Amino acid sequence: MSDPLLEIDSLRKTFDGIFALDDFSCAVGRGEIVGVIGPNGAGKTTLFNVATGFLRPEHGQIAYKGRRLLGLPPYQIRRAGVARTFQNLRLIRQMSVLENVLLAFRGQPGERLGNVFFRWKTSQTTEAANRRSAMSLLGDAGLSEKADDPAEALSYGQQKLLSLVCCLAGGAELLLLDEPVAGIAPAMIDKMLSIIRDLPKQGKSVVLIEHNLEAVMQVCDRVIFMDAGRKISEGTPEQVRNDPRVIEAYID
Amino acid sequence: MTNPNHGDGSGEILGEWATTVEYFLHIAILIGIYLILATGLNLIAGYAGLLSIAHAAFYGIGAYTAALMALNLHSPILVNLICAMLLAGMLGAVVGVPSLRIRDDYFVIATFAFQVIVFNVLNNWVSFTGGPMGLPGIPQPVLFGWIVSSHFEFLLLVGCCCVAVLWICHRLVCSPFGRVLKAIREDEVFAQSAGKNVAAYKVLVSVIGAAMAAVAGVLYAHYISFIDPTSFTVMESIFIISIVIIGGAGSLWGPVVGAVVLVTLPELLRFVGLPSAVAANARQILYGAALVACMMWRPQGLVGDYSFQKGGGRQ
Amino acid sequence: MQLAANALVAAGTILLVAVGFALVFGMVRFFHFAHGVIFTAAAYLAFVFQTWVGLPLIAAVVMAVVGAAVIGCAIEIGVYRPLRAKVASPLVLLLASLGVYVVLQNLISVVCGDDTKQLRSSEIPETINILGARVTWVQLATIAVAVVLVATLAAVVQKTRLGQAMRAVADDPQLASVSGIESDRIILLTFAIGSALAGVGGILVAFDVDMTPTMGMNPLMLGMIAVIVGGVRSIPGIVLAALLLACAQQATVWVFGSAWQDAVAFLVLLAFLLVRARGFVGRGTQEAIA
Repeated sequence: MSDPLLEIDSLRKTFDGIFALDDFSCAVGRGEIVGVIGPNGAGKTTLFNVATGFLRPEHGQIAYKGRRLLGLPPYQIRRAGVARTFQNLRLIRQMSVLENVLLAFRGQPGERLGNVFFRWKTSQTTEAANRRSAMSLLGDAGLSEKADDPAEALSYGQQKLLSLVCCLAGGAELLLLDEPVAGIAPAMIDKMLSIIRDLPKQGKSVVLIEHNLEAVMQVCDRVIFMDAGRKISEGTPEQVRNDPRVIEAYID
Repeated sequence: MTNPNHGDGSGEILGEWATTVEYFLHIAILIGIYLILATGLNLIAGYAGLLSIAHAAFYGIGAYTAALMALNLHSPILVNLICAMLLAGMLGAVVGVPSLRIRDDYFVIATFAFQVIVFNVLNNWVSFTGGPMGLPGIPQPVLFGWIVSSHFEFLLLVGCCCVAVLWICHRLVCSPFGRVLKAIREDEVFAQSAGKNVAAYKVLVSVIGAAMAAVAGVLYAHYISFIDPTSFTVMESIFIISIVIIGGAGSLWGPVVGAVVLVTLPELLRFVGLPSAVAANARQILYGAALVACMMWRPQGLVGDYSFQKGGGRQ
Repeated sequence: MQLAANALVAAGTILLVAVGFALVFGMVRFFHFAHGVIFTAAAYLAFVFQTWVGLPLIAAVVMAVVGAAVIGCAIEIGVYRPLRAKVASPLVLLLASLGVYVVLQNLISVVCGDDTKQLRSSEIPETINILGARVTWVQLATIAVAVVLVATLAAVVQKTRLGQAMRAVADDPQLASVSGIESDRIILLTFAIGSALAGVGGILVAFDVDMTPTMGMNPLMLGMIAVIVGGVRSIPGIVLAALLLACAQQATVWVFGSAWQDAVAFLVLLAFLLVRARGFVGRGTQEAIA
């Protein structure tokens, strides 16, 4: 692949002697949607945790747009343009839906202590502009009526949608989505998938972890199959589905 | 809370107070001082979610800084304030650092440790701080040539400081900065993943809160004109956190309500005829019981927003 | 040698408080600050039973230890259990515990007064000379009692069915309930034992030196530090930590004077928390990692 967005090289991460990631390498191109599938404990979420700076691997390297990510704290990786959602759905439940989205915007002057007191006007102007962008994003996702409701008042599916909107609000170019459609109603699944499918048109790339193979087949350009920390198979959804090693791993 | 009336043993209700007005002014000044203390702690614990029982230590640092400077350098109150805030702010940053690495309840222990160390220093460094004997004879504050001498004038001074502190707090929490604090309070992993430098926010809010406590300390030292370490103990820290919690953590008016309630209600004991020695204990029993009751039935306090729950125990 | 003797005695007290605290913390996973005032309450109960009620010393002491256990259980039933039923966070429980501490300490002040009191046995406190160090019988008793009680407790926890049940509840109360263990009763028993241990410590200290209503705060903090540094589940670790703390304190007394000994203990805690923070990494981060 020429000029990949994300390059992962020979990652190794062990927990108490067990390989969560074992010499794992892959690349993600610009405008691609890559699916990562595999049985429980295969290391998929560990991969995300390492890529976003929450875990340190013992070996390997990750480069995003040519820039080394390992060693950076999570907040800097996010600022570089890599956003993620969490398997157990993290949100600030007590803040409103709108405030959750506003939180995600980058480069807010009002977040800096000095500006709060000495450049209040500028902060307010930016805040108003962010509000408009946030409402527009929520509108695209069909959540605008809920904007002032606390995030915990949303249904599970709507909350997952909200966390996706937050990733977009922060202007990320690479989205790592951990089980975006798990546990939500079929109508919502379709909505979520159609949004994800459109992301490359907006210049974004996506890596998603999923157990829902149908969803993966529908939306992904490429699929990686992992087991026990290793990459077992990689290719188009069709290729991976018919790969005997994959079939064997699932039967086991 | 030291009160000039303590230990006077006389049965008279108003004892040393020249008039009833003086008494009410005194109460109002105390409310103001505790309001400032509670607002600072509310920022740290109520908005950022970092429960701390070290606040009385910063209160004491502010008081002793002002006292030592006023006694030895005869400096005006503005200078005392600035120095006290700087010193407390720096130490506030030091106390904030453990919160970056340890869980919230262990962090409380770390703040407790800091509190005890500061008390020990104040109590043992006799040559510098006067040790258990304290520092008497602190002069009245001088503000641009105005000597603040009467209770009424002092109330004006305290009142201005209260307004300033509340305004600062209001600005902070209504801004995106405040939004990040609330996010950190609920889920700092999420805040990190949203691109926020959580460590910087925690340290900053610790600094600001500590500086506010120092302001209260400076005012207290000049008002009471005699300070000793017993005003700055763990019990005092627990009293301040009680004000924040009972008033309501995570809301601007919580500390105000809490200070009014917890300063005035125990004063009513005075009128019930309790001997002053028992009154002190009764006051503490009241706020201790109120704290327990609050945690059991209304952890968000009277007007508050946050109940230290973080999504409810184990998940 | 005197230093070593003093250190051993101090370690004994710390150990009694620490093990009781660790027992409770291991079971309910929050910082039960009121443990410190139970330490004090036992001493005052013994005083009250001996001086006001007129019981013989042994009876007074026994009743006081039982009283300590009762107080611990009362706090658990009255405050902690209802809060746990609401799935209160460790912070909420900690705050409630602080409130209980304040109330109880002041109750002791109101009932018994703030002046220092003494628990005295009928014999004159004799000092004996062991290897050049001077210790009183009470101090020797402190070491002996601490060792015996802690060793017995360790044996019970490791070897008996009761101990097994306790470990099960400490690991996972819901799972233990499902297996037929009455978690609430085990937790109550833990509070009783832990509080009794603290009570014994308080009474011994009251025999050795004078007692005041605030006497529990320092032993509590030292006990908490010993538990954090030594490890909640590891009695040998706590023993070592108690010894370490006591030695550090005695060394500080020798070099700097007795006024700074608490500061050293807390510096040890701060240093430990900052350097070995592995077990205390913010809960949230642990979940993200899993």
